[in-house]
Parts: sequence; C-alpha cells; structure tokens
Amino acid sequence: MALLEVKDLDVRFAVRGGDLTALRGISFSLDSGERLGLVGESGAGKSVAAFSILNLIARPGYIAGGQILYRGRDLASMSERELRKIRGNRIAMIFQDPMMTLNPVLTIGTQMVEAIEAHRKTGKKEARAIALDRLQKVQIPSPGKRLDQYPHELSGGMRQRVIIAIALLLEPEIIIADEPTTALDVTIQAEIMDLLLNLCEQENVALMLITHDLGVVSQVTQRMLVMYSGRIIEQGPTREIINDAQHPYTQGLINALPQMGEPGQRLFQIPGSMPSLKNVPTGCPFHPRCNFATEQCTRRMPEYVRSGNVDVACYEVANLIEQEKRMQEAES
Amino acid sequence: MTSPLVSIRGLEKRFDLSGSLLEQITFKGGRLRRRQEAVHAINGVDLDVQKGEALCVVGESGCGKSTVARTVMGLLSPSAGEIHFGGQRIDNLEGKAALPYRRRMQMIFQNPYASLNPRMTIQQTLEEPIRFHHPDWSATQVRDKIHEVMHSVGIDLDWGSRFGHEFSGGQRQRIAIARALVVDPEFIVADEPISALDVSIQAQVLNLLMDAQESRGLTYLFITHDLAVVEHFGTRVAVMYLGRVCELADTKTLFARPRHPYTQALLSAIPKLEDDRPNHIRLNGEVPTPVNLPSGCVFHGRCPYANERCRREVPAMIATDSGTQVACHAVEEGRL
Amino acid sequence: MTTATVSRWDRFRESFVWYSFKRDKVAIISFLVLLLMVLAAVFAPLLAPADPYDLAQINIMNSELPPVGIDGADPAFPLGTDAQGRDLLSTILYGTRVSLMIGFGAVVLQAVLGILFGLLAGYLGGKVDAILMRIADVQLSFSTLMVAIIVGAVFKASFGNLMFGEIAIYMLIFIIGIAEWPQIARTVRASVLAEKKKEYVEAARVMGFGTRRIMFRHILPNTLSPIFVIATVQIANAIISEAALSFLGLGMPETQPSLGSLIKSGFDYIQSGSWWITLIPGLVLVLLVLVINLLGDWLRDVMNPRLYKG
Repeated sequence: MALLEVKDLDVRFAVRGGDLTALRGISFSLDSGERLGLVGESGAGKSVAAFSILNLIARPGYIAGGQILYRGRDLASMSERELRKIRGNRIAMIFQDPMMTLNPVLTIGTQMVEAIEAHRKTGKKEARAIALDRLQKVQIPSPGKRLDQYPHELSGGMRQRVIIAIALLLEPEIIIADEPTTALDVTIQAEIMDLLLNLCEQENVALMLITHDLGVVSQVTQRMLVMYSGRIIEQGPTREIINDAQHPYTQGLINALPQMGEPGQRLFQIPGSMPSLKNVPTGCPFHPRCNFATEQCTRRMPEYVRSGNVDVACYEVANLIEQEKRMQEAES
Repeated sequence: MTSPLVSIRGLEKRFDLSGSLLEQITFKGGRLRRRQEAVHAINGVDLDVQKGEALCVVGESGCGKSTVARTVMGLLSPSAGEIHFGGQRIDNLEGKAALPYRRRMQMIFQNPYASLNPRMTIQQTLEEPIRFHHPDWSATQVRDKIHEVMHSVGIDLDWGSRFGHEFSGGQRQRIAIARALVVDPEFIVADEPISALDVSIQAQVLNLLMDAQESRGLTYLFITHDLAVVEHFGTRVAVMYLGRVCELADTKTLFARPRHPYTQALLSAIPKLEDDRPNHIRLNGEVPTPVNLPSGCVFHGRCPYANERCRREVPAMIATDSGTQVACHAVEEGRL
Repeated sequence: MTTATVSRWDRFRESFVWYSFKRDKVAIISFLVLLLMVLAAVFAPLLAPADPYDLAQINIMNSELPPVGIDGADPAFPLGTDAQGRDLLSTILYGTRVSLMIGFGAVVLQAVLGILFGLLAGYLGGKVDAILMRIADVQLSFSTLMVAIIVGAVFKASFGNLMFGEIAIYMLIFIIGIAEWPQIARTVRASVLAEKKKEYVEAARVMGFGTRRIMFRHILPNTLSPIFVIATVQIANAIISEAALSFLGLGMPETQPSLGSLIKSGFDYIQSGSWWITLIPGLVLVLLVLVINLLGDWLRDVMNPRLYKG
C-alpha cells in the first residue's frame, strides 16, 4: 500500500457567481521514501494541491470530492483534532517564504521546542537536544548559537535550513515542500536542494516537491506530475518524462527552456497563457494553445493512456499509441 | 574597434544608511562619535556596451546589478564615476539637455504587475511618451506608430481601451516593451524582464526581445540572475559579485571556460535537465553584507583558492589568453 | 463621447464597489438617507413652507409653538416654531443646507491643500518633506476649536456683527479647512511614498517626464481612493466642528442658522418646555453625521486593497 494516496480529488473555491474548480480529478500516490515532483506554472493548482493534502485549504476553498489516504486513513474527512496530530508530526510542510513558518518574535530554539512539545511528551532539555541535533543535520554553522537567535538575525539561506530542521523535528514520513528555494539565489538554492535530497535519503522521508523549475525536478525527484489548469496531464518517472515528454504541454514547457534552444536563435514558444480558473476551456484545458488540437479535444477531457511508464491525458498521444499497436499487429 | 555606445567608467554607488546628522551621533566609550554607515552597492564598475550587442550582467541578489541598470538610466545618480552615451557624458545632464537621451535609452522592468499605471488605458500608456517626445506629430502619425509597435510586439489593437490589470503577466510585459519601443530607442536596459513570468511565457518574451533587437537594431544591457537565459541571449556576459565585476567574456567563452572561481560555482549551480546527480561547487558561507565590504578581493571569504594576497589586495581586471577579462589573483598567478 | 460614458458606467456596474454596495444594507440605507437629506437641503427654497431668512414672514406671535401632535400645535408648522416664531421645518432645511455647505466646502479646501502638500512632501522627499510635515504637525497641535475661537474673535471684532453674518460661512469653511488639512496631507503622503516606489513611476521618469506631470498625472490618480475615504469622514467631522463652533456662539449667526446654531438657540428654552427647538435639529445633525460615517466605514472596507483582493 502506498504511504499517501490521493484519489479523484476535487477542490473548489466558492466565489461570487458560483464555484470555481481549482483541482479536478487529481489522483496520484507517494510511496515511502519516494521523491515526487509536482510541476506546473502559476495557476496550475500545484500549491492548492499541496495545501489540500493536509486539508489546509483556506476558505473560500473546500474539498468537494475525493479521498486523501494517508496510511489508509482519509485526511479529507478527518476531524481537525486528528489532523493536527498528523500535520507537522507525520507530514511536515516547507513553504517558499520561511517567515510563514517562523514567528519573528520568538527565538529559533523556543519555536523548535514548542513544536516538539506539541506532539511529544518530552522535557525541555530533551526537546532542546533534539532541536540541536536537527540543526546539526541541516549543516547550519554553529548550531548551538542559532537556538538563541531570532529569525531576522539569519540570512535567507540559513532560515530555509532552519525550516528544514523544523520539518525534520518529529521524524515525519512525508515532507511537502512548496517552492522551497524559489526565493533564494542559485548557489544557495543548489545547496539547499542537495541538503534536502540527502536528508530525505538518509532519513527515508518521502518528499513531495512543488516547483515550477524543471531543472530542480529533474535533479531531485524520481517521479513527477505535470499539472495544467487544475488537472494532472502527465505523470510518470521523472527521467522518462524529461527525456521524452508525451503531452504537448510538457514538451512545450521543456523545449521553451533557454537551455534547450540554440544560442541566439528563437526559442520554442507555447502561444497564449494559462487560462484563469474563471474561464477554463471546455474539454482538454490546453487545447486553445495546442498545435495538435482537434475538434475532439474541445469536447471532452481525454482519459489517461499509458505510454511506457507514463500516464498521459491526451487524444493525440492515445491516437499515436493506437496507430503503433495496429502497425505491430499488421506486421505480425 | 568602434567606440562603444554606452560606457560606464569607475561607477560607484553608495546608499546612506545613517540618516540625518542627529541620528549619526552615538555615545560610545565615554565619547561622542559620528557614525556613518552606507550600503556599497556598486564599487567601481567599468563596462562598455557595444552597438548591437546584448551585454548581460549576472549575479546573485545584492551584487549591484540592478543598481547598475538604474544608475545607467539616470534613476539613481552615481556616487562617483561617469556614464557616457554615444560619446557624450550623460550622468550630469539635467532637464532639457537630458531629454534626447531619455528617448534614445529606454528601460524594461522586472515586475509587469507594477510597471503599468493602473489608472491609464493601454492606449494612454503608449500615446503619452510619443506625444511628449514628439509634440509636433499629427494624430495620424501617433496612431500609426502605436499600431506599428503594437503589431510588432503581438498586442491586439483593440486592447487599447482596456487597463493593465485586465491582462496576464506576459501580456503586460508585452505592453511594457511596447511602451519602451514607441519612442524608437537605440539602447534598452532590461532589468530582469522575465524573472517574474512563467516558463512558457518567458520564452515568448525572450523571443520578442530578440526579434526587436534584430528588426530595430537595438542594443541591450540585460540584467538577470538566470544563467541559462544568459547563455541563450547574451553576446557578452559580465559576472558581478558584491558591487564589482569579477569576470567579463564572450558568452561562449564564459560558459565553455569560466575562469573566476565565483563564475565556476555559479555555473555549476544551474539546475540542468540532463544530470541526475549534479556536482555543485560548494562555496563557504554566504554573501557578506555590502555594508562592511571585505578587504582585498570581495570574494575571498568564500573562495576555496583565497590566500593572503587575496585578503589584502583588490584584484584588477586582467585579460587572459582566452579573451576573458577576470579580476582574480589566482588566475593572474596561474594558480587556477 | 457617449460610448465612453456608457462603458465607464458598465465598468462601474461590474466593479467590486457596486457589487458590495448592492449587498450591504447599511450602506444602501445610509446612502439613501444621505441622498434624501442632501436633496432636501439643496431644494430647501422649493420645499420649505416658509423662508426663515425673510423677516417679513415671521410673526413673533407664533413663537414656541409645539410640533404637530402636541397640544397647542398649529398645522401650518408641522415641526413647531422656534423662539422667534420661525417655522422649525423650514429652518432645519435651511440649516442642513448651511451645515452641508460648510462641510463640503471645508473638505474641498482641506483636499486641495492636503493633496498639494502631501504630493510635494511624498514625492520630493528630503527637506521639502521635512518642512511641510513639521508645518502639518504644528497645525495639528492646535485644536480646531482654539484656532476657530481666535480667528472668529478677530473677525467679529474687525468686521462687526452685521458684516460678520455675511462672511461667517466663508470664515467657517476657511477655519475648518485650514485646521484639518494635515489629515489629508498625511494620508496622501503615505500613499505617494508607497506609489513612487512602483515601477510605473520609474518608467515615467525613464521617459523623461517632468516632476509635475509624474506627480499629478501618474501618482495622484492612484492615491485617490484613500483620499476619498478620508474625505467622506472629514465631511462628517467638519459638520460636527461647525456645529460645535456655532453652539459656542462662534459660528453661524442666528439670522442664518446652521444646525449647530439652531441647537444652541433652542437650548435656552429647554427649561421652559420648548424641547423641540433643540431636540429636532439635534436629531437631524446626529442622523446626518451618522450616515456619512457609516458610508465612510463602508468605503474604507471596500477600498482596502487587501480585502479587495480576497
């Protein structure tokens, strides 16, 4: 059984003039110790997906359907009290902005000790020892000193290390990291990503990494999901998708990267932009921007088809697979 | 070699932190002292931008690259040094004398959500600069110019009566680019023009900038933190660290053979699609604050090759055999 | 031209302001009450049964008649009469007119001064900012009443009572406007400081636009919403200030009474049982100030950008 299994998750936002569907039919699973990437541009719904896993969607958003099974227990229908036992304890979260987690008027040590005491019965001393151990794990320089410092005394990279240390405090099974390095410089980003990767391997923590950066995903994760307009349009092993993306959107996203283009030549570009939730196109939401779109695409959202180890929601891919099958049959 | 279109000489910019005279006075050790603090954003930058090229300035936050852009455009006045445009010194021009250069130099900003006036329609946004710089133009001339530019940046003509907030980030950036282009500039400073945009939109805007460069013969000073973009877009690259240029080279040369230890670390940190397990060069610590600059080479605190001389002496820019200019004692001494 | 106005109207109807107005009962009722009072005040000469300024229409024999429904009332005076025999309804209508005029006038003056100084201080910064804001501080450290008492006394002494009656309304506008402009100037300055950091202002500077053009054409329109909120509340404050001054005898003379002077004029007769002369104008004043403040609160909620986005 998978550690975390999301089944057919629908999330909606109640706004004036009716509901907006932010996530539609999201299904994926995360195994113990696995590193999963969630890729998409802004408006794709990747952060909503991350928040809804811990049932942290703020009003007017709400989970409209589906299940979020953590070790077989449905987080979507769990009481707030039970959820609190899981949040931060079994499933930890890392945000883009460290100041979302850190309280500016408390020392790092106080915050870490409080986080431990909220979930475990330990003495102050013991809790402090755990905190120190985690700070050492994230390779922060002079960890003992950091315990008595306030968040504003640390640099951005160091704060993100502290956040990772806090996430690790209670030995969680899953860490959900929402764009953890987007606000950081490249050299710091590389260090933090290395750190996160190594820690997850050492401690056997499953990582769900939400990012818009395909480079980061390809370096850190084993499997990835590509989201577009609230749907997963492609999911499978990271390497397979990066090397040979099936969905036209994923292909476009990869080919639009400057590193894929010939220097000085025009880059591949996907026309248009991601639709807003208010006017999601009918059928496949990508069809207005897609070169392969046919009449069929405008009518119904395509079902997932399997190509290699990758699941793709695209009629064009389905047709190609069908053709290939027929050709093979004809040959034999 | 022809003379450069823009040249920056010995540019320095400090931002005073200490406030008024009263706030500067502190009582310490039984004596009244005057304490002055400043952020040293740029500490002696020399750069030439050749006509028709795209000179990219890269570096991490706090390296002073945006300050260079703003100083060149006259949004900030330099604390020391000179800026020349087409042979004429422009940093000391005021009022009417500066106007022709305001037209010939334009700027594209990072945040498309803040760079359009929320109370002006697209038509007004594009019309105002033309009417201001060409008061003698007829209404038809103005309209034709706007239509030509709107067409070339891919804006629908009927967007004109709408306001900025009705558009997506990519569309707004197109409008901002159109605003810069309507006055027919020769030189454009682009300050992180794509870093606020989504990946698929970044490609659109980069293509647009490249098309405009080709069709209008533009020269760019392109500020970015994204090395992948530099490799694609830049003719030459200047790498900045703590307010100084540490390496300057042709894009190809720089990516093929980075010389400065900082450039090497920077290049190794780019997340690439190909490799599973990258080998990042790890630097010690983090960028020091530009309030108290390190002595000697500003990079010595994080440099794996630093020695006594690096801590003492500021390295000068030297030319190497590969055509790269680099400010590093280790390279000069052949240690690297 | 018509197409432009139509589209602007459409824009307004689609806007958040209109949407939240439609859903807010308090705002709708306040707005309707205010509208009614403003209309009644504006058309007072048409609506009022009598002209309280016309001495020929006043008969002292009618003085202190109670409102309809009380023994001794005269149906010709639905709200009764005051001590001089003026029809109270007419006097209140005219008085509301005076109060509103002073309120609006004072706020227009405040806004002109406040916007100008606020823009200059915020955009130019440095010494200009320091000097203007210190002037504002000095201004605020005198209470409105104190300034009014001094200025009013000087005016009265130098122009004499008769002449004073004619210029009183302008004097009150001037006093209240001068005393309160720092409120608006501070608000404007704060939003200018926020706006001038935005890139559209830098883009305008890069274009070579002059300071005046940038301040008035680019920054000012973007600072209007907080000014609007403050101005609404300030109208209510100005009306109150005027009423207070009039009550102290420093405001409108009894020949051209505002709501405040009406209250004062009736105050002497409360003991003798003629409570309506004070109470009814008092209620009108409270209602007027209340609806303006309620509207101001609603506007502040709507125009708060953080709420706006949510």
